[in-house]
Amino acid sequence: MGLYLIEDTAHISSFALPSIFADRLPLYKEWHDFVFYDRRKHLFSFLNFGVYGNPYDAKRGYGLALLFFIDQRGRTYAEMKTIALRDLQVSPYSPDFISEDAKVLYTKSNNLFKIKSQIGKLACDLQLPVILPPVSSKEIFLDVVKMHQTINLGMTRGAMEMSKLWDNWAELPRIPVSGEVTLNGTTVPIDTRTGYHDHEGGRFDWGSTWGWDTGVVLCDSSARKEPEKIEFRFYRWGPSDKLSHGGIVIGPRNGKQKYFDSGNIHIERTGRFSSGWSVVPGITRLLYPDYHPDVPEKIVFSASDNQDRLDITFTPKGLCSIVAASVCGESERVFNEMFCSATISGHVGDTVYDKTIPGWFESVRPRGSVKHYAVEA
Amino acid sequence: MPLKLKQFLDDLLEIMREDYQQQLQEIIKDARGITCLQTLDNERAVIQIDRRRIKISGKAPKTQINVRITLSRNCLFEILEGRITLEQAFYSKELEVLGDPVTLLRCYRIWERIMSLARTSARITFLTYRLR
Repeated sequence: MGLYLIEDTAHISSFALPSIFADRLPLYKEWHDFVFYDRRKHLFSFLNFGVYGNPYDAKRGYGLALLFFIDQRGRTYAEMKTIALRDLQVSPYSPDFISEDAKVLYTKSNNLFKIKSQIGKLACDLQLPVILPPVSSKEIFLDVVKMHQTINLGMTRGAMEMSKLWDNWAELPRIPVSGEVTLNGTTVPIDTRTGYHDHEGGRFDWGSTWGWDTGVVLCDSSARKEPEKIEFRFYRWGPSDKLSHGGIVIGPRNGKQKYFDSGNIHIERTGRFSSGWSVVPGITRLLYPDYHPDVPEKIVFSASDNQDRLDITFTPKGLCSIVAASVCGESERVFNEMFCSATISGHVGDTVYDKTIPGWFESVRPRGSVKHYAVEA
Repeated sequence: MPLKLKQFLDDLLEIMREDYQQQLQEIIKDARGITCLQTLDNERAVIQIDRRRIKISGKAPKTQINVRITLSRNCLFEILEGRITLEQAFYSKELEVLGDPVTLLRCYRIWERIMSLARTSARITFLTYRLR
C-alpha cells in the first residue's frame, strides 16, 4: 500500500520512548532486530539491540545487545551483554542505539544503518542501506484486508490482542548487508541482498503474552526462481493453536501480493530439533541444567484456497533460545530464533515454486510448553 | 579494581531490601540457621542467616559453619555466562561445596531464587559484574 517513504525510516524505526508520565513504565521494552544470511559464506546472523524497563530509572532500566551467528559448519555463536542506561544512548528522534560494546547508527542523509559491535569473541562491522520504505503493522493490516477483501473475526481479534500489548511494530522487508563478521578471531566478509529488519516495542510483562510465530523466507529478489518475498505472522492470545490468528504473504515477481489467511493454512509440526543451539542469558544453563528447547524438527505450513496452493517446510538448522523472565511473577517466555531452510512448493497464479531458500523463524512460547507448542490451560 | 566479596554481599542485600523485600523475607525463612563460609579467590566472607536477618561478617566460630563454598572469580563468570555447567565446575574442582546434603539443598533453593531475580534485575547484574 505504501504509507511511508524510505526517508521515514528514521522516524518509524526510532525508539518510541514513552513519556515520563506514561503508565506501566517498568514494563517498557523496545528493540531492533537485524537478520541476514550470506549465501556465499553460508553465514546466518540475528542481531538484537533493545531497551528494557523504565528508561528514566537509571538503576532499573537497562539495554541489551545480542549477537547470534551460525557458521557454514552449523556451529552456533551467541553473546549477550547487559548495558547500563548511563552508558546507552537512544532517542525518539533517531533509530540510533549507542553504547560502548554495540553501536547502531542511522545516517539520515543516505538512509544507511551502520552496526558495529564487539561482545566477547564475537564482532560485526556492517552497513545496511535502506532500499525499500518501512512497513508498519497498520499498513500490513490494510494490505491484508485489501488482498483478502474481507475482515474475519480472527483478524480483528488478532489485531485487538496485539494492540493490547504492542505500542509499535515496523519492518524493513528487504535490506542489503555488507561488511564483516568476526567469530572467535576469524573474520568473514559479508555481502548479501537478503537482509531483514524489524523494530517493535510495548509496555507489557512477558507473562502476559502467549507468544507468536513470525519470520521471513530470505528471498533473493535477483534470483529468477524465487519470489520477491515470503513473510508469515501468527499471533496467539491463548494456550492452543485455535486461539491464534495470522497468515502468510507471498510476493510473486509480478508485483502482486497473495495472502493466505489462518483459515486456509494447516500447520504441522513433527519430530524434535537436535542440531546446534545456544541459550542466553548464560545463567539459564545454571538454572535449568537439563533445559532443551521444545522446537520441532520440521514445521510445515500448507496453504491453499480456490486458486492457489503453497507448502512451506521449515527445517531448523540452528537455534538461539532467549529466555525472558517476567518481572511481575514467575512465568517465563522463550524466544526461539531459528535459522531454517524453507522448502517452497506449489503455485500462486501462473508461477510454480519448487525451491529451497534460507529463512528466519521466530517462535515465542511460554517456557515449559508441551507437544505442539500448546500449554495445558 | 574489582569489588571486594564482602562489599558485594552487603550491596546485594541492600538491593534485595530495596527491590525484592518479599523475596528476601522468603529467603530468610528458607535459610534460617545456615552459616556459610564463602571463599572467592583469596577473599572470605561469612553469611549468617538468623531468625530475622542475613548478616555478612568476616569470621564465625568453626562449629557454627555448616556450608563451605570455594570458587574463583574466573569460575564464577564462566558459570554465569553459560560457558561451563555447574557439573563441569564441580568435576574440574574449580568449585567446591561442602556441607550436609539437606543443608546444601536448602542453599540451592536460595541460589536459585537469587539467580532468577538476577535475570530481571539490571542492578544485580551490574553489581555482579563489578566483582570481575
